[in-house]
Amino acid sequence: MSLFELVRLAFSRLRTGRLRAALTMLGVIIGVASVVALVGVGQGTTSNITERLSNLGTNLLTISAAGANGGASSTLTHEDVDALRSIAGIAGIAPESSTQATVGADGETTTTSIIGTTADYAAVRAFNVWQGTFFTDTAVEQNLRVAVLGATTADDLGLDETSIGREISIGGLPFRLVGILQPKGGSGFQDPDDQVLVPVGIVSKYFVSGDGVRTIGLSVTDEAQMDTVQAEVTSVLRTRHGIASTDEDDFRIFDQAQLLETASSISGTLTLLLGGIASISLIVGGIGIMNIMLVSVRERTREIGIRKAIGARGRDIMLQFLIEALTLSVLGGVIGIAVGLGVSALISRVGDITFSISPTTLAVALLFSLAVGVVFGVWPARQAARLDPINALRYE
Amino acid sequence: MNEQIISLRGIERTYDMGRVTVPALRDVDLDVAQGEFLAIVGPSGSGKSTMMHILGCLDRPTAGTYLLAGTPVEDLDDDGLARVRSRTIGFVFQSYNLLPRTSALDNVATPLLYQGAGRAERVRRAKAALERLGLGDRMDHEPSELSGGQQQRVAIARALVTDPALILADEPTGNLDQATGHEVLELFRELHAAGSTIVLITHDAEVAQAASRQVHIRDGRLVA
Repeated sequence: MSLFELVRLAFSRLRTGRLRAALTMLGVIIGVASVVALVGVGQGTTSNITERLSNLGTNLLTISAAGANGGASSTLTHEDVDALRSIAGIAGIAPESSTQATVGADGETTTTSIIGTTADYAAVRAFNVWQGTFFTDTAVEQNLRVAVLGATTADDLGLDETSIGREISIGGLPFRLVGILQPKGGSGFQDPDDQVLVPVGIVSKYFVSGDGVRTIGLSVTDEAQMDTVQAEVTSVLRTRHGIASTDEDDFRIFDQAQLLETASSISGTLTLLLGGIASISLIVGGIGIMNIMLVSVRERTREIGIRKAIGARGRDIMLQFLIEALTLSVLGGVIGIAVGLGVSALISRVGDITFSISPTTLAVALLFSLAVGVVFGVWPARQAARLDPINALRYE
Repeated sequence: MNEQIISLRGIERTYDMGRVTVPALRDVDLDVAQGEFLAIVGPSGSGKSTMMHILGCLDRPTAGTYLLAGTPVEDLDDDGLARVRSRTIGFVFQSYNLLPRTSALDNVATPLLYQGAGRAERVRRAKAALERLGLGDRMDHEPSELSGGQQQRVAIARALVTDPALILADEPTGNLDQATGHEVLELFRELHAAGSTIVLITHDAEVAQAASRQVHIRDGRLVA
């Protein structure tokens, strides 16, 4: 008997018991759909996090004062920044002090973070300027009231390429808009595009007392030198801050690349975990198939006897029942994939979660449902094939 | 017409019931020539069901030799027996044994499926067999939509469709009323007249009258 004949036979059999077939498939459908949806959301989140973190720059070291927002309470100072400049292998260094303030233009206002920094900021934090220019070192030295807006902030205020050079107000003071940054994308926690950049001196002059800085962003020329630069930075800062060798640092250094690695490995593990949990339901679906196939073998004992009497070999019977189980599981798998894609489209729309599913995942889900059909179909099929034709014919 | 379709020599069949072994057939010799219509008659418990199973290659003898259409079948494995059933034997059962929820046409075509015939050939030959039995207008009916007599005729069509060397009928009239039973027996006589070799197994001496030769079975032995 050809495979085609067997599949035809299986379909005609499933048609005679549609409700039973549908209910049996439901287990596999739910299993495959949840695998697809959960893995899709997991992979989407992983690539989202990875992308967002690498957008922040992978050569980036961020030094932050332990538990301070800048200003007088911060342990990091502009002198620290100047001292760090002499370390070899640093491509750019940008101190940051920040505050919150209301920004306004033409009656539109928004409250956002105001970050005081230097001209290196764009390079260190991997921002590109969309319109206008970033403020220059000269502007920083002279404490000019110039501002560069993040894309989201500019959008909130209704500012576009025609607005470069005009006046906006920050915390009630007039500033000249010199540039708008290209959006990095990403949403949810801490939108990197929702911020206003001004020369660092402006923040300590008008908004925060003292001349401490909250963080120092530091980009390293060569990614391979991250560790040596980090060690150098630590030693310079410890010396400057007069920290005894037994005491802990009064600052922290974040390595962006390391963070990226950690984050993507965590969310990768989570994806695997989610997929694993979902595949348990697929296995439960497989047990449902086995259950119904065993019942079916029992119910159709006489049919098996008849088929054997009129010339079916054990193998023919085995294949007939195996293909029936496979039809249930693969059909369930295909429907499950469709349902899973639909559900994840819904989740990503409603929950604002990125969803990404690779063809490999779909193929694996389909193969997995095929495997479930084989694993849970073989035993009932063997039972059917082994029936003695005489007893099977007598079975009422 | 002298070629032997069936040749049994010293056939024994004992059932192992734990501590005791129960003999069902003892030293059975039987020859059936091609084109013969033989009735094997015996009361229940005489061993005629066992005889049917052995003849039909559904079971193997404990001892003895069985030549079916020239093939020694006593040593065949399960697949070998299945092949013999597929190629050489057509069964007609007391309770029809049609596949449920399956059209008459598909029922009759199924033995050809196990021979590996293509769909077009199966349909053509199944249609021809059904038409031969006057069921040309019932091909799409499922067994539950057919009377007992019609179901048995579908079953006979199924037995005929492979042109088997032997038609083996086990109480084919047992579930039918007398008139329908007579019709079925008449059908067997027609098939016999057309050249088929038929072995009819029954407990009913009257039914056995339809055959051209009778052998009786008692306590597992053939008696003349």
